[in-house]
Amino acid sequence: MRRSWSHWARAVAVGAVGLTMVAACSGRSTTGGDDAGSGTVTLKINFWGDFGLQDLKTKYEAEHPNVKIQLNSGEYNAQHEDLQKKLVAGSGAADIAAIDEGYAVQFRGQSDKFVNLLDKGAGSLESKYLPWKWKQTLSADGKTQIGLGTDVGGLAMCYRTDLFAAAGLPTDRDQVSALWPTWDKFIEVGQQYTGKTKKKFIDSGTNLFNPILGQQQVGFYTEQEQLQMDGGPKVAFDYTVKALQADISAKLVSFQADWDKGFTSGAFAVLACPAWMLGHIKETAPGTEGKWDIAAVPGGGGNWGGSFLTIPKQSKNVDEAYKLLEWLVQPEQQIEIFKKVGNLPSQPALYADPAIAEFKNPFFNDAPVGQIFPKMAQGLTPQYQGKKNGPTRVNVENVIRRVENGTLKPDAAWAEAVKEAEKASKS
Amino acid sequence: MSTTRAAPPSPRSAPERGTGGSGADERRLTWRNRLYRFDMRYMPYLMIAPFFLLFAVFGLFPLLFNGVVSLRNYELDDPTLPYWAGFDNFARLAGDEDFWNALYNTFGIFLLSSLPQLLLALVLASLLNRRLRAQTWWRVGILLPYVTPIVASTMVFSVFFSRDFGMANWLLGPFGGGDAPIDWRADKLHSWIAVATMVNWKWIGYNALLYLAAMQSIPRDVYEAAAIDGAGPWKQLWRITVPMIQPVVVFTVVLSTIGGLQLFTEPMLFDLNAQAATGGPNGEWQTIAQLIYKVGWKDLNLGYAAAMSWALFLIILVVAGINTWLTSRLSGGRK
Repeated sequence: MRRSWSHWARAVAVGAVGLTMVAACSGRSTTGGDDAGSGTVTLKINFWGDFGLQDLKTKYEAEHPNVKIQLNSGEYNAQHEDLQKKLVAGSGAADIAAIDEGYAVQFRGQSDKFVNLLDKGAGSLESKYLPWKWKQTLSADGKTQIGLGTDVGGLAMCYRTDLFAAAGLPTDRDQVSALWPTWDKFIEVGQQYTGKTKKKFIDSGTNLFNPILGQQQVGFYTEQEQLQMDGGPKVAFDYTVKALQADISAKLVSFQADWDKGFTSGAFAVLACPAWMLGHIKETAPGTEGKWDIAAVPGGGGNWGGSFLTIPKQSKNVDEAYKLLEWLVQPEQQIEIFKKVGNLPSQPALYADPAIAEFKNPFFNDAPVGQIFPKMAQGLTPQYQGKKNGPTRVNVENVIRRVENGTLKPDAAWAEAVKEAEKASKS
Repeated sequence: MSTTRAAPPSPRSAPERGTGGSGADERRLTWRNRLYRFDMRYMPYLMIAPFFLLFAVFGLFPLLFNGVVSLRNYELDDPTLPYWAGFDNFARLAGDEDFWNALYNTFGIFLLSSLPQLLLALVLASLLNRRLRAQTWWRVGILLPYVTPIVASTMVFSVFFSRDFGMANWLLGPFGGGDAPIDWRADKLHSWIAVATMVNWKWIGYNALLYLAAMQSIPRDVYEAAAIDGAGPWKQLWRITVPMIQPVVVFTVVLSTIGGLQLFTEPMLFDLNAQAATGGPNGEWQTIAQLIYKVGWKDLNLGYAAAMSWALFLIILVVAGINTWLTSRLSGGRK
């Protein structure tokens, strides 16, 4: 009988452990945002990299004793996918979620899942923003604004002064800017460079296509959501193919090992670079200090990247979250962030601030980045981004990569690009 | 006690009741009896229940829910569509060239990985089954790739197969590749070989160890008899070893079929532009699992992605079935 009891006890123990495991796995974490009893609220902010929020968090918490801020930095793509999944699931998103320009269209299309900031009085801020920045997170009907802009990338041309000198090209940034007022001239300079040094001029075809497309009046889609390849995309694509035929591209893919090596090995001499790219170059190729400089981008203006702060509707503290959000985009805070991490604000009035206007970057030959990037960002015309903009861009970029790797003939490329874009528009 | 089957309760409890002294004692005994019966009858079910509960929550429910979603219009960026789509998503599959391309790639990579993988594992296992120096070291050594985190190894392979500074091209250099380095990501064959290499590297050791375990249960005298009859090592492997470890062979074939058709991480991270999830600029090595991910989370069409998942599920069932049948026919030996 004793044996049976211990046997029984053992069985119960095993069963209990098993059930506990099930319970542990299926149990939902119940960390809510509002600690209603104590009167304090916890606001969680999800972002990637470094948004320069650490000091601002301390400052805000000191001014608002009832608010606790939780900063949650993650990987760029992972944060966006996490937000998307939480939106589908209906709970679990942060109180303030940062989104990047590249994902703005995707989330703008689900504007019913975000707090309409216009309802909260954000409309008064519209005049402070770069018009195209404001438009990027505005719903198609213009009635819902899901996010407020923080930084913009702007776009300039970073170039290697040592490689330019070796090819007999001027190295002064104004003279270099004067070399390429148009993209045609830019490609000519590239041919000169490649002819003389037998080295490639640009890093990739896609990094030529995107800035040119960004400068066109109409992008892939019209405001009526019609795919229009014959306008802007054709212009950008033709320049790109022309550059590829001139054989000036190193055929690399951004943010990959070979591309990163290219910075030090001199695989390319110019690179379309937004403000945030400066940090990447400095980190990847510390040995090239002083060998870089920054000139204007052909065609007058451009932008690559930049972020927004949104409030998902599922947040339990919408009002407090908006208060914090509004505070974060105020000039004082935006200047703080620029000083801290170099993210360029998206409010043009701030570009006159001495902290930005007089800033020079020593790594880039003391280039006046506080002058160059704002000028580029302001030169950009707002362009409507269609719902399927992301997939369409990916498909057309893939066609460019096929021309680069030699599996697609340049003269057949445009027809293929149209076909692929149409496929994406119906995806 | 635990070895006896549950006896009919009445004859047992009757004599106990007869011999029992007080009423309280009697009740205790029947309580105990009930416990005993419960233990015998239901305990086994209770003990395997956690698995089935977990399976129901994380296996069966998603499967069924996926089935429901596959019949819906579930496009995250277009909530205006009618709720039910009927079989539209499945009908669309038939004419979707991306799907067929991905299926073609998946099978191509599957063939390039599973066949060499299992054959090499077999050879490796039979080598390890001999008397070797540092036997344990070898046996643990071949399992190392399996222990390596898949993302880490794929990243390394991705650099290994890079066009400009890759080791693979450097190694192939002396064999006439000289004029132009191979762009491993430019066409189907090269990219398939690259992805299949990653899969093979990871799984050969694991399969070899399974084979080795099975081989050790084969009695020595069979081999001795065969050797006397003049069978060489190669013939012994195919005529004796393989037929005798057939159940394990079938098991590994089914397992590698499932794994091969669900291939995701390797093709995903092999792509330089991994975020696009297109498996190369022209979908050269995009597998079905990758396409499902792209359609669901990049094109935001969850309904269509669910339909693809179900199609993949059915395809795996069919292929695993065919492979099981084929393997047992081929390695059967006794007919």
